[in-house]
Amino acid sequence: MTTLVMTMPDRRRLMALSIPFAAVVGSMAVGLLLIAVSGKSVPDAIEAFLDGAFGTAFAFGASINRAVALALIGLGFILAARANLTNVGGEGQIAVGGIAATALALWAPVAGLPLGLAVIVPLLAGTLAGAVWGGIAGVMKVRFGTNEVISTLLLGFVALLMVYWCVQSTALLRQPQTSSSTLPESLPIPDATKLPGLTGDPESPLHIGLGICLLLALATAIVLQRSTFGLRLRAIGLNELAARRAGMPGSILLVVALGIAGAFGGLTGAIMLQGEQFYLKAGFSSGYGFDGLVVGLLSRGSTLGVLAGALFFGFLRSGGISMEIMAGVPSALTLVIQGLIVIAVAGSVILVEKLEGGQR
Amino acid sequence: MDQPAPPPLLALDGLGKRFGSLQALEGVTLDVQAGTVHCLLGENGAGKSTLCNLIFGVYAPSAGQMRFGERPWLPPSPAEALERGIAMVHQHFSLVPRMTVVENLMLGQARGVLNRSAFAARISDIADRFGFVLDPNAVVGELSVGERQRAEIVKCLMRDPKLLVLDEPTAVLPPGEIGALLDICRRVADSGRAVILVTHKLAEIAKVADSVAVLRTGRLVAQADMKTADMGALVHAMVGREVKPLDVALGDSNATEAAPPDRPGFALVCDGLSVQDRHGATRLDNFTLEVRPGEIVGLAGVEGNGQSELGMVLAGLLAPTEGRYFIGDTELTHAGAAAVTAAGGGIVPEDRHAVACVTAMSVAENMYLNKLDRFTRFGLLQRRALNEAASAQMKEFDVRAAGPEVAFSGLSGGNQQKAVLGRELTLDPLVALVAAQPTRGLDVSAVEAVYRQIRAAARRGVGVLLISSELDELIAVADRIAVLYRGRLVGERPAEMGERGAIGALMSGQVA
Repeated sequence: MTTLVMTMPDRRRLMALSIPFAAVVGSMAVGLLLIAVSGKSVPDAIEAFLDGAFGTAFAFGASINRAVALALIGLGFILAARANLTNVGGEGQIAVGGIAATALALWAPVAGLPLGLAVIVPLLAGTLAGAVWGGIAGVMKVRFGTNEVISTLLLGFVALLMVYWCVQSTALLRQPQTSSSTLPESLPIPDATKLPGLTGDPESPLHIGLGICLLLALATAIVLQRSTFGLRLRAIGLNELAARRAGMPGSILLVVALGIAGAFGGLTGAIMLQGEQFYLKAGFSSGYGFDGLVVGLLSRGSTLGVLAGALFFGFLRSGGISMEIMAGVPSALTLVIQGLIVIAVAGSVILVEKLEGGQR
Repeated sequence: MDQPAPPPLLALDGLGKRFGSLQALEGVTLDVQAGTVHCLLGENGAGKSTLCNLIFGVYAPSAGQMRFGERPWLPPSPAEALERGIAMVHQHFSLVPRMTVVENLMLGQARGVLNRSAFAARISDIADRFGFVLDPNAVVGELSVGERQRAEIVKCLMRDPKLLVLDEPTAVLPPGEIGALLDICRRVADSGRAVILVTHKLAEIAKVADSVAVLRTGRLVAQADMKTADMGALVHAMVGREVKPLDVALGDSNATEAAPPDRPGFALVCDGLSVQDRHGATRLDNFTLEVRPGEIVGLAGVEGNGQSELGMVLAGLLAPTEGRYFIGDTELTHAGAAAVTAAGGGIVPEDRHAVACVTAMSVAENMYLNKLDRFTRFGLLQRRALNEAASAQMKEFDVRAAGPEVAFSGLSGGNQQKAVLGRELTLDPLVALVAAQPTRGLDVSAVEAVYRQIRAAARRGVGVLLISSELDELIAVADRIAVLYRGRLVGERPAEMGERGAIGALMSGQVA
């Protein structure tokens, strides 16, 4: 797998990786400084962070599950980015994936399906819904020239509101209203449709979503580096006119690329639902789409970069929540640190490109 | 004449420029005198543009010194160079097409309240002084290429530079306008300024140059006073080997060539093709032309008379508003680029970088961009097979590069064009070849190679449509010449030297 991802010459690659790494370390140091300035105990905060991120089997599993969601969104992002498309609609694609997976999981016949189909059918439904959601943006782009940044973003808001609608209306996915205090949520999905755990430990929330994610990461690396499809995406991304002249179906490739990115988002929604949350509620996607976008952006198109970034942000999120609860550090501060990292890494990417560009 | 030469206006001493591992320019020592036209001659990739860019402050040299007038010259930016007396006209114009000449020239020069009439007067004044016509109130988009170029030159002259650098100014001009440009160069020099004229066309320099310097692979290989220069020696210096002038070389192959095989049917048929642009203007008007197998039909015309639109239609990238288009017996009017390739239509687009290739991808990828399926097993690209095939094809078509995996952008224009031509000529089947401006910006030896390949294809029975604004080349290569003017086919003449005047008249819109 390393050989798959190692495409750049090693020296340049080392530089390309070490600069963002230094940026991360630097911005974390600034974060600790901010904690000290805010009057909280830095050692307490660090302890709470580590505890929340890795401390227990549960904490570790929860961090990994977060990373899986971020990685899947990031993988979809870099695939579309190969065709020079920027999918910022991960959040909405998660939402439609969650809706579709919930609908199928709660549909009585599905839970009774044999051979793991009870799990697979909702997963596929979520994937398909996400693909359609991404594909719509693709069609808008090739048909009307709508910039996909705008269309995926706005479709994302539509999808988030669709979740609200679904959980507010008993005609859709809201649980039967037995009293005035019935929450606007779906019924929990049947056990048969939940993702199987990875370890026997009932304490650990780790589930097979991790395996799915790693398989898809491998597949993504192969598609990007080895496949003709990946090369065509690249050609379209670099020079659409020349690619079309060479007989490539430009419009179809663009729609498919955004559809795949959307499919990754939809699958993420299904995995989040069937692996951890088990019922649909408002705010279901809770920002993973946007964090995953950041992971994709910072990876510079490398599959390993996506996995590394997803792990980093997964643990950062878990640890941040724990810092807030146990050490009283405002969770906004983790967001500040995240923001600092994004800026630092984005800046370092420009720096790296400038260094490389200087040799033209 | 007997006085000692005055100190040079611009003196380059051991100038060098390195880009990464590429030594683009090395040890260039050169003097340019005020009041002279200094020609900079060289093939593509010889370093001419790099040298201009060093003088104009686009790059900083990595070795050597420059002096301009009395002082060392190292402008930190083009703006600074302009400020201090050196102006440059680039190959690509920087004019806003929808604004008038005056408005364009006021950009970046006018401050505060705009005074159009004063500017217009200055423009007319400069035009008068250097002996040319330019309507200050004309909209740039409606001007000919030559007029736009004059607007660029006026833009430079308004800054009253001591040195004017023109980067390949004749490459974009129709034959009739080249003479006028050279006259302007002469007058600018006569006004006490110096002119550096970059070109790779030998015939042009004899007319106007006072002195000439020849660059080859980044080094200065010859320098001469034009009065005593030996043209043959200059050519030899430029290409590093004996080359027959183009017309002689092509004339030879013309003579020895067997008559094209007489095959039934047509290789390429355009039947009443019309194209309207989005504003409703007719760019191509009822264009009808038939090319037989083995025939080379030249399509002459000053650029911007519908050639680009025709090229896009024939490439399958633009659907005509009206008319039909066939290659062999296959109708391709609305079929798209892939179908053109499948029907045996080889296309060499006029805009190499925008249409023919993906410069950031490798040579091998570009040479098989339309045939990737051939190297695909189970969806995976067989890189080794691709690179091997590309290496063989690079050899066959004399594409010089460090290997099949280097970036296409690293190749010189000539090698890029040979690669594109190789890709299109190896289509199977190949019925027709449409080559648009295939030699633009290429050096002499690459031009020769391109036309050799095109002739060889025609001998194999391929019908060739050659779209070019270089009349001499068309006459040398084509069997007959059709002329396009304002989107319409205005006439057809045999491809003979004696018809040059008649074809030229057709090109300029005078009905023969």
